Amino acid sequence: MTDTTTARPPERATGAMSYDYVTRTVAGTLGNPGRGYYTLLGTAVTLLGIGILCLLFLLRYGLGLAGYSMPTYWAVYITCFVFWVGIAHSGTLISAILFLFRSGWRTAVYRVAEVMTVFAVMTAGLFPLIHIGRQWFFYWLVPYPNERGLWPNFKSPLVWDEFAVGTYFTVSTVFLIMGLIPDIAAVRDVATGWRRKLYAVTALGWRGTNEQWRHYRPAYLYLAALATPLVLSVHSVVSWDFAMAQVPAWHETIFAPYFVAGAIYSGCAMVITLLVPLRKFFQLERIVTIRHFENLAKLCLLTGMIVCYAYCVEYFVAWYGGATPEREAFVYRAVGRFWWAGWTMNVCNAFLPWLLWFKKVRTNISALFVISIFVNVGMWMERFVIIAIHLAGEPFEPFVRAGYNATWADWGIMAGSFGWFFMWFLLFVKNFPAVSVAEVKEELAAPRRGAARHA
Amino acid sequence: MKPGPALAAIFHPPPTPGVLGVFGHLDATVEAIRELKRGHATFTVYSPLPRHELEEALDQPVSPVRMFTLVGGIAGCAIGAWLTLYMSYDWPVQVGGKTIGSIPPYVVIMFEMTVLFGALLSLFGVAFNVLLAARHQGTIAYDPRFTNDRFGIFVPAAAAEAGTVEALLKRCGAEEVRRG
Amino acid sequence: MSEGMNRRRFLTVLGATGGGAAALGACGVDPERSQKLIPYLVQPEDQVPGTATWYATTCRECPAGCGLHAKVREGRVIKLEGNPESPINGGRLCARGQAALEGVYNPDRLGDPLARGVQGKLERISWDDALAQLHAKLAAARGRIAFVTGNETGSFGDLVDEWTKAVGATHVTYEPFAFEALREGNRLAFGIDAVPWYDLASARYILSFGADFLDTWLSPVAYQNAFARAHGFTSGRDVTMAKSVFVGPRMFLTGMNADEWVAATPGTEGLLALALAAVIVEERLAPLPADAGRLHELLARHAPAAVAGAVGIDAPAIERLAREFAGAQGGVALAGGMATHYPNGAEIAAAVNILNYVAGAVGKTVRFGPNQGLARGTFRELTDLVTAMEAGKIAVLLVHGANPGHSLTGAFWQAWGKVAYKVSFSSDLDETASAADLVLPDLHPLEQWSDSRPRAGVWALQQPVMQPVAANARPAGDVLLTLAGKSGTFKDYLQTKWRPLAERHAHGKSFEEFWPELLQHGGLYVDVPRQWVRLGPQATELMREAPAPPRFAGEASDLVLIAFPSAALYDGRGANKPWLQELPDPVSKIAWHAWVELHPETAAKWSVTDGDFLLLQSPFGAVRAPVWITPAIRPDVLGVPIGQGHRAYGRYARDRSFNAFDLLPEAPNAYGGRTFAVRVAARTTGEHRFLASSEGDPRGVGAGEDIIKVLPRATADALAPTAHPFAEPAPPAYAAGALAGWAEEQRAGAALGNYAGKQPRWAMAIDLARCTGCSACVTACYAENNLPTVGEELVLRRRQMSWMRIERYWRGGEGRGAGEGGEPLHGVVTPMLCQQCEAAPCEPVCPVFAAYHTPDGLNGQVYNRCVGTRYCANNCPYKVRYFNWYNFAEAGGEWEAWPSPLDWQLNPDVTVREKGVMEKCTFCVQRIRGAQNRARLEDRTVLDGEIVPACAQSCPSEAIVFGDLHDKTSRVAQLAADPRGYHVFESLNTKPGITYLARVVDRGA
Repeated sequence: MTDTTTARPPERATGAMSYDYVTRTVAGTLGNPGRGYYTLLGTAVTLLGIGILCLLFLLRYGLGLAGYSMPTYWAVYITCFVFWVGIAHSGTLISAILFLFRSGWRTAVYRVAEVMTVFAVMTAGLFPLIHIGRQWFFYWLVPYPNERGLWPNFKSPLVWDEFAVGTYFTVSTVFLIMGLIPDIAAVRDVATGWRRKLYAVTALGWRGTNEQWRHYRPAYLYLAALATPLVLSVHSVVSWDFAMAQVPAWHETIFAPYFVAGAIYSGCAMVITLLVPLRKFFQLERIVTIRHFENLAKLCLLTGMIVCYAYCVEYFVAWYGGATPEREAFVYRAVGRFWWAGWTMNVCNAFLPWLLWFKKVRTNISALFVISIFVNVGMWMERFVIIAIHLAGEPFEPFVRAGYNATWADWGIMAGSFGWFFMWFLLFVKNFPAVSVAEVKEELAAPRRGAARHA
Repeated sequence: MKPGPALAAIFHPPPTPGVLGVFGHLDATVEAIRELKRGHATFTVYSPLPRHELEEALDQPVSPVRMFTLVGGIAGCAIGAWLTLYMSYDWPVQVGGKTIGSIPPYVVIMFEMTVLFGALLSLFGVAFNVLLAARHQGTIAYDPRFTNDRFGIFVPAAAAEAGTVEALLKRCGAEEVRRG
Repeated sequence: MSEGMNRRRFLTVLGATGGGAAALGACGVDPERSQKLIPYLVQPEDQVPGTATWYATTCRECPAGCGLHAKVREGRVIKLEGNPESPINGGRLCARGQAALEGVYNPDRLGDPLARGVQGKLERISWDDALAQLHAKLAAARGRIAFVTGNETGSFGDLVDEWTKAVGATHVTYEPFAFEALREGNRLAFGIDAVPWYDLASARYILSFGADFLDTWLSPVAYQNAFARAHGFTSGRDVTMAKSVFVGPRMFLTGMNADEWVAATPGTEGLLALALAAVIVEERLAPLPADAGRLHELLARHAPAAVAGAVGIDAPAIERLAREFAGAQGGVALAGGMATHYPNGAEIAAAVNILNYVAGAVGKTVRFGPNQGLARGTFRELTDLVTAMEAGKIAVLLVHGANPGHSLTGAFWQAWGKVAYKVSFSSDLDETASAADLVLPDLHPLEQWSDSRPRAGVWALQQPVMQPVAANARPAGDVLLTLAGKSGTFKDYLQTKWRPLAERHAHGKSFEEFWPELLQHGGLYVDVPRQWVRLGPQATELMREAPAPPRFAGEASDLVLIAFPSAALYDGRGANKPWLQELPDPVSKIAWHAWVELHPETAAKWSVTDGDFLLLQSPFGAVRAPVWITPAIRPDVLGVPIGQGHRAYGRYARDRSFNAFDLLPEAPNAYGGRTFAVRVAARTTGEHRFLASSEGDPRGVGAGEDIIKVLPRATADALAPTAHPFAEPAPPAYAAGALAGWAEEQRAGAALGNYAGKQPRWAMAIDLARCTGCSACVTACYAENNLPTVGEELVLRRRQMSWMRIERYWRGGEGRGAGEGGEPLHGVVTPMLCQQCEAAPCEPVCPVFAAYHTPDGLNGQVYNRCVGTRYCANNCPYKVRYFNWYNFAEAGGEWEAWPSPLDWQLNPDVTVREKGVMEKCTFCVQRIRGAQNRARLEDRTVLDGEIVPACAQSCPSEAIVFGDLHDKTSRVAQLAADPRGYHVFESLNTKPGITYLARVVDRGA
């Protein structure tokens, strides 16, 4: 299948980019995938396969296959759920909140972030279904009319979760599609073959007429306005799963802001993790510049500092509050049998981001990449510590405190979730514009008479 | 009457005769719009990106989409409240000694529903209005470059006055003018 | 519902009777077997489907002989409870007694007679062939026959005696724990060869020398109940509480519940007893009997100063004890358990008798007359038999109700080989049976007629409560009669034995009238006149070479190892019952495995930790045992439980851990008993295993101070009736109003639909001054609520499903647990079960209302609605919610808990939970509803005490009281208002339905 890649104009080191350059560069990313791409996709699908296999065993024999042991009734699965929901957040932040703030630099990166959001929520949504004891009855949480006249319990944070995550998935999907339409139209008009047909359908007849823009612009604005409080609410609700319970080290008022900050932190890190290789493979160096990375790094720095602060406050309040169980819980986190988990989290999330104070680090792609990986690990560990470790060390009942060891069923399904996420992500970036065409153009000077003529 | 032709009538209205101008420059396009606004009632402007210059020149009425969003939001909130309270009292179960219908936890549901319905109705609003507009325009000439780096203006005109329109567009600096 | 042969056999057997029809009526047999259905035309007169029938019978799990009430539903016994009429256990029952059920339904039970075939394998044969074979052998072996039975105090014993006399055989009674020392001790002291009855209930001071009467000694249920009455604390009546002191190298359950533990050097208990007696005589602390003067010279030799060193406590302490003991006016000193298992056990028992004598306890709290019913047999008789076997003097050996193959692993086995023809009447393939040439499976005691005399004046009857599960098994009594060529069944024989008895007590009724009454009451109970005793001639001859250092076999440099009966498995006969295997040991909390106990100092010296293996070598054998470190044992002593390490005896017992009997001598000691203490050489093997314990991380911090409250005796006495020392501080005045208003608002908003109107509030009161942690309630809960046993691997993963968790913490001392400085080491226990909170944290978090609040104040758990989010369990501060990680009911599944026919024991009134749902204690809601329905039918309100949850019902010390808190006159309401009452984690404001009453410890002046 021939494509527009051949039509790519020569790279120009200097000078402003033209509209045409943008269109063609972005369209260029949609060419024939190479071996590297297929290897990545293959790996992702294999991981997914492993996950599905483990899940089948889990369904047949029961949750006992996972590492749960009283009192650790939640562990790796819920950790993954919170982790993925967290990842999602930066996407909406960059695309919606920065849109409201009119910060131009977002245009180049927001599409990737948004795609990440949608697929991350898609992944997160699976875990509550996997982790319950009778997965085949998950729909009992949905308020559907039934002959037994039973309804769910809207007082339960889990039901809030279901509504929050469900809404979040729907809205972020809508938001993504809205943004995509003009860009799909753009690649439609330069594409050939089956892709042209695909884009012709998915562009939904977009032509960029004044009428279309007239309705499109406010709608996009309102969506952004709606998504902004949403993104803040979702992780707050997730955090309330824990804060509403009276498990020491869960029952804390700072959980909502603490979790939201953490979520955006991990999300920005994940954007960097995804963007660095993407930029390289798709040769987007001129569209996604160091400036973009530096801004992302600044976001990381800000949220990282908030997280660091939250950690300190947790310890301080545990000591200052004087509640013995709370104190014990944090002693356990620091020096208990899972001390290593607690410290991994502290180092990766609270200490490492201090490096980002240095411009040298912020503008060094490979440094950023490494840090972002550490932050991802650290944030996963943070959730693991909060969920599994604090349950294992539940201070109320010294008689049942116990160890916890995750099993192949835990790791297998977790690996599967990564496979699931990256499969969708890879499929997307090769088939739809991973960088916004229309919005990047907004950042360029419009061609005017008298200005230098361009090809 | 069979549904097929009916749908065709909605989505593929009959072609409108007129003149299509292709512009390479924003200012030229703006000038042409200003010119046309004097004489010609309706015409369509193509642009690969939203530009405030164009909007100012056109100065169109405010989009009604906002009403959709508003209604959606309010409806969502109401539905959230109804869902939680009705279901609580329809099957009253006591948990943890709390009141059967306790508002604070239900606020979360109401909020989420507000956002959900607001967003969905906005989407619907765009689709609805754009389709309506397309219905008025009918099928008009288009050039693939309009999503890339060219601006365009289509002026519906009978063969009689097509000439004058062509002249006008050329004068304003259209790179290319053709009849469609 | 079970599958395959068992059920078919069950049907064919029951088919004849109406019981079968009833069973079918309830079980719903699947269509393809329907041709086997017997239509429910004839209503069996004693059975209504869905309604339980109760049969009175007698427990045979240990020599105590407690009375039973067997609950039978549709022809199947599903639960065992104590018979309230029995003077032994008064309606209470221990874990072992309740687990008898799993003996009836044991999946490895023998169905048919087996004989050793040509290839030397045991093969099925018919009864006729088997009996013919046996006849021939017996005829040939005339005069060279021996019959070994367990403790048989009733008609079966008589029958065996008659038969053995007839065929010129010897009848040997063998019980691993036959209390020879006690009998010998009593002979030495009083010249009477009997074990008296101790009136603990009215004792004012209980001084136990090794007697673990809460666990395994003589009659645990009876004595625990009496102990609770004496030692329990009632606020406002300070005279009620008797102080309890335990003397022994290891703190047994009895020691944990005593106010004071005297860790005497093994074997010196007698010296201590005499020293106490000496002080009493010296200081004339009690009115001495006339002939006490004869003791003067003996006691003079045992002045406190003389023995203190050997015993290991200082003289003043001995004097203090003596004064307390004598001053209590009505103390009792018990000798038993380990103290009577040393080489000098008899002397110790005698010495304790002398103490009782000089303190004037004999005749008051120590009563001869209503003596313990024990068969005469001693260990020496058996060893004599072994020598005879060794010498080839025995041609045919018959074994019934005993398993010497497990308890005598040395000399006995060589001798065993020398016997040409061995016959076992065991209903399971235990070590003895599987090595026999002929196995004639007996019926389970619950399936056959028999009787026993647990105590003088108590004739306990035993009747079949259901049709045999193993249909082709035959009562040993019938078999013996056939062998003897007598006509009729054992039932007839039994009745002939009872006729004279009935004539004496029937008050003119005919035997036919009287017999049903006897069956109803479970036997015949009459008072026995007390028998007065005087000092015997040998009394003064005790312990000549005093202070006598006890001599144990083995290198003098090695540590002394004591082997004691396991609380759950007793001498090992409980090992094939999953309930007992999974029951955490009351002291060590270890299940499914045996261990060797080490004091922390010793462990540090040898640098071993929990679970490290030690190779223990005694002169008689060696075992590899995993270490359990505990402060509750002397540093110079090791302890191992007896009962594990079976080489046969079914899937649950086989090849599990080690057999402590391997270490013990097989020669009788001075008094003809067996010695359960030897010196062992111990060395580490480098192996390690995790011990399946119900105790979590042994992290010292806050060893349950919020959970178990303990009051010193003085403080408890001083409490005003209205005092509430444990209550949370009341909110400040300015907040009180607002809080009250808010609470009222909440209540109003919650009182809707079913919740409106007056409702009961089911609640419980648990008195920790009575609870001993014996764990009978745990097994009761397993039986009543169909709790699955999950096996050792899952217990290791902390997935046991026990709704009732007995928590045990060490306090004081310098062992594990918070070391309150100076306070002596003691163990505290509490049952932890669902607290049925009024403001339950578990409820609001459930997304589907599976956990919800019932109008009568229970935390309901709807298994059918539960989707298994486990949020409720996370939010429960008491951690009393248990999750079904696997499908424990899946037939043939890897985690099957009830392999057929064990599933026949399931309670039809309680759901068997599915995989993936949460479960928890519901105060036996099925019993509550049952009582409410009965009341409604009889058009009355439910009476206080009418509803009794399984745990409360079984509790031997009556520590658990259940009732309606809203009824101010109810017992539970009164106890809830007790000054000692407190709620666990009251500060969390969960408003629990369970009120605990603080334990009271008497540390003396």
